[in-house]
Amino acid sequence: MAAKSLIRNVTSLSSELIQKKEQAKFEYWGATPAEARRAAVAKKKGLHDKRTTLKEAVARYAKDGMNLGLGGFVNTRTPVAIVHEIIRHGARNLTLSMQSNSICCELLAAAMIINPDHVSIKRVELAWWGYEVIGIAPLLRHLVQNGIIELDDYTNYGMSARFKAGSMGIPFIPTRDHGGSDMELVNRGRMIECPFTGENIYLVPACHPDLGIVHVQAADMHGNARIFGALCTCPEIAQAAVHTIMTCDQIIPNASIRQHPNLTEIPYAVVDAVVEQPLGAYPGASYGYNWFDMPEFLAFRGMCDEFRKTGNKDKLKAWFDKYIFGCETFDDFLATRPYKTIKELRQRDGVQPIILE
Amino acid sequence: MAEYGPFEMIAFTGSRVLEDNKIVFVGTGLPIIGAMHAQLTHAPSLNMIFEAGSLAAILEQGMPLSVGDTRAFRKAVFAKGLCSVFELTQRGYADYAFIGGAQVDMYGNIGSTIEGGDYLHPTVRFPGSGGAGAMAANCEQTIAIMALEKRRFVNKVDFITSIGFGDGSPDYRRKAGVMGSGPYRVITNQALFGYDENSRRMVLLEVLPGKTAKDIQELVSFELLISPDLKDMVEPSENDLKLLREKCDPDGYFLKRKVK
Repeated sequence: MAAKSLIRNVTSLSSELIQKKEQAKFEYWGATPAEARRAAVAKKKGLHDKRTTLKEAVARYAKDGMNLGLGGFVNTRTPVAIVHEIIRHGARNLTLSMQSNSICCELLAAAMIINPDHVSIKRVELAWWGYEVIGIAPLLRHLVQNGIIELDDYTNYGMSARFKAGSMGIPFIPTRDHGGSDMELVNRGRMIECPFTGENIYLVPACHPDLGIVHVQAADMHGNARIFGALCTCPEIAQAAVHTIMTCDQIIPNASIRQHPNLTEIPYAVVDAVVEQPLGAYPGASYGYNWFDMPEFLAFRGMCDEFRKTGNKDKLKAWFDKYIFGCETFDDFLATRPYKTIKELRQRDGVQPIILE
Repeated sequence: MAEYGPFEMIAFTGSRVLEDNKIVFVGTGLPIIGAMHAQLTHAPSLNMIFEAGSLAAILEQGMPLSVGDTRAFRKAVFAKGLCSVFELTQRGYADYAFIGGAQVDMYGNIGSTIEGGDYLHPTVRFPGSGGAGAMAANCEQTIAIMALEKRRFVNKVDFITSIGFGDGSPDYRRKAGVMGSGPYRVITNQALFGYDENSRRMVLLEVLPGKTAKDIQELVSFELLISPDLKDMVEPSENDLKLLREKCDPDGYFLKRKVK
């Protein structure tokens, strides 16, 4: 039964906006639960060799109009290598879904600013878009303050729970947050009266990205993945998505996976493509392999901020021409970064113990 | 008395507010520093949750620069993902939410989504809720760090990102479906605030030595309640400052920032 909190007594939002949001017909921004189920059933379930190149994987699964689910969290295990390839390939009219991300969404936003006929973002369902200690996200500000993209705001748990609902094959999930905040009035969740307790409880819709992208530390050729440090919401995103592309720092033997099956965080069946890409999260961190590259983040964010302040996109365009469109592969991009930098990043995080055998 | 900066006072006060044998769900920056200082002094059995998914990490590699930093998982006792730690919180195992924000009102509702304009066409768009909205809903008590300025201590928050006591009605939080008891402290460099149990309005509890309640009221848009037992804020000792500067934030990422 539909219910309401007392948020209307205290909100600053206009009654027109509230009414508009209230009357909007609900739709999933990615696959519906039924579509996601059909896609899962149609997949071959054998232990196939799913190793491929990013070029092939992206050409096969990236489509205009898709909901792209971003793995990682802020600057940890950011699937940057996959994002570079999606930008090279081109993808228009995207919906992005994520809890918190930094450089992945800013890279896609910058690609849109440079050439919206090649890459464009239509809307984003999210909890947070920024760089934490490094600063706010300049392109988020540019795109939202100029009314170029639409946002749908949840909390970090809300977005994680939405992916979790998708991964569980259920159409929504109750959460104990959003209610009583303005998110209750603007996002696509609903307050109901719980049929069991009689108390109000907030429901958020499942999120099934059409394409989920994750970077993990280790996986076998079939896509059974181990993750160390923060799992973020990667297992849920991979299992909720219609298709999942996974990069890993290292391919490990299936025998290792079978030795410690409890360590598998993502099972092969939900993974469609596996690409061994050392430093695939760079400049983001990968626990046990490399810390994040602060100067690289600062430099990239600096270019984006300059564009926001001046409207001049020359520097950004030159950067993309050189480091994305001028590279065939992510290894070509990494080859432009000094060995000394990479070595230091590896040393700064190499002490984290991980289990590969 | 030792010389200290405004952010050092905030971090020290944050530490003072945290009790031992509790779990604190920390946001990036000063909340982490406050919790680290508390662990090094009066609260050795205080443990932190980092929202990317760790519990009770040992921060021997230094302060994490992000709540998803690999350092925030060092020697943790439990390392999973966002769902796990937010579900622990929803279940009742996180005592404090320790967050920041751009605007706060007299009932402790906090905004960190937009400032000015409207939701669809904001004058300034901030990164969004992140974990804050969920932390303020379901940690047992919310501690917020704010800059003490009229434009931040507002009559009405432009967009309520993190639930406080709403309109102040006694059943606001219950009808919102959230579990935590709500706002507890607001920390600034010149004043410490709490909330009145009956009216749920913000109360001035402590002021920086040399400041008066009137000085603080001038920096706040709404009418403050003043504690009948108004105290001076405790100032950090030489040893507290040494810990903050050498152990907690030696690179000065947060403590050496300038006040705008």
